[in-house]
Amino acid sequence: MNIKTVHAVALATALLLAAPPLLAHHGTNINYDRSKQWTAKAVVTEFKYVNPHAQLFFDVTDEKGNVTHWSGELLPNPAQLLRNGWTRKRSTEAMQFGAKIVVTVAPSRAGGEAVLVLKIENDKGEELLAGGPNAGGPEPPRPTPTP
Amino acid sequence: MTRTSKGCIALLGVGLTMVVLSAQERGRGAGPQGQPAQGRGRGPGYLKLFDSNMPYDAHDLAGIWSPNGNGFGGGGRCRDCGDRGYSFEFPEFTPAGKIAFDKNIPSYGRAKDSDDAKAHPEEHIGRRRAQPPALGNDTYGTCNPMGMPRAILYPDPVEFIVLPDRIYQHFEWGYGLRTIWTDGRTLPKPDDIDLARWWGYAAGRWQGNTFVVDSTGYDERTWIDYFGYPHSDQMVLHEEYTRTNFDTLELKMTITDPKYYAKPWVGETKRMHLLPKDFIKSSGWPSLLEDLCAPANENEFNRVIRDPAGTGKPPVRR
Repeated sequence: MNIKTVHAVALATALLLAAPPLLAHHGTNINYDRSKQWTAKAVVTEFKYVNPHAQLFFDVTDEKGNVTHWSGELLPNPAQLLRNGWTRKRSTEAMQFGAKIVVTVAPSRAGGEAVLVLKIENDKGEELLAGGPNAGGPEPPRPTPTP
Repeated sequence: MTRTSKGCIALLGVGLTMVVLSAQERGRGAGPQGQPAQGRGRGPGYLKLFDSNMPYDAHDLAGIWSPNGNGFGGGGRCRDCGDRGYSFEFPEFTPAGKIAFDKNIPSYGRAKDSDDAKAHPEEHIGRRRAQPPALGNDTYGTCNPMGMPRAILYPDPVEFIVLPDRIYQHFEWGYGLRTIWTDGRTLPKPDDIDLARWWGYAAGRWQGNTFVVDSTGYDERTWIDYFGYPHSDQMVLHEEYTRTNFDTLELKMTITDPKYYAKPWVGETKRMHLLPKDFIKSSGWPSLLEDLCAPANENEFNRVIRDPAGTGKPPVRR
């Protein structure tokens, strides 16, 4: 395992249980597996503040010096980022090329290098580009359906 | 009292004041552009921006109505607003309707054949068959118009623009515009529709304090909701909008589509809540956000993120 750290099972399970069951129209919960999320130090290579989802491209280097290029969609869309004070200017300044960050992501269920970015922190441990409590959900409690 | 103890008391007072002020600030929260994040995490599950008991005109639907829990677009619906599906009632398909239902591959709901899907047999299979978008066939995935009633099921706000002879529903999500004519025209019968429309043909009228809309002629490629329930060219959508207090608009719907459904299908009652005109802002500009599904954005996103995530294949970057 490289420098990325697999989160504790309990934490992942808790987050999985707390995760909204349904998201947007891009199959976010279908594409990604939150029970296998991981955290790693990374370097930003590109950031796009666009619809339908802000996109973050970053590199992770393992202890042998191997670099993996990751493509991530952020959980909040620009509307949710705005709602939480993350304007385009503020966001792009925080995510400029070469910025050192710590990302927590959910990998694709199908494998590969596309991920859902769940959390971004800077090297001071401050959370960046948070979408607020409503980012990506939550859905209302479901009433008991009548078959 | 010594000078030192007086100093300590003064410092303690300042400290307590700061703690109280800090707590008050946290309690208010930080909303967009300095707006207070009122109602977050309490109350009826939506931003309580008005006194519901204020007087109102039941026939005035103008304004921005939101089913969203944070009122700003995207994210989840508020707790009393219903979910993104049309109904929890099990539909009764005709044979042709079942075939059409099976052809649609949505990416919304519980993952097909997953433990999660198996754990909820009380839900119709339509809510338990989601596949990655790369393997699906949702026409909105390539930015085609959503049509109705799907458009009004998404959490983003919708602005009702009332003119003397029509009401426009301007949906933030997709930036779609639907026209409901109120000039007394008669709705054509489904068989008389020469050219289907993505947003259909809609005629509205007041019945007491309820605004009743009947519509038909929707392009068959639109879905009833995010779960991919189909409709045929025979669908007639009946909507009843009732303003139940100053800031709540209730919507009841019934779909009649004898080609695909054996009996009229009643939707789950939906609610929306009024937002101040200047609540939604970007760049200091109050208006609906342009949450347009632009192919230039969507196709790039699909190529670089969405489809690789669904297939495991490397992103194609240009």
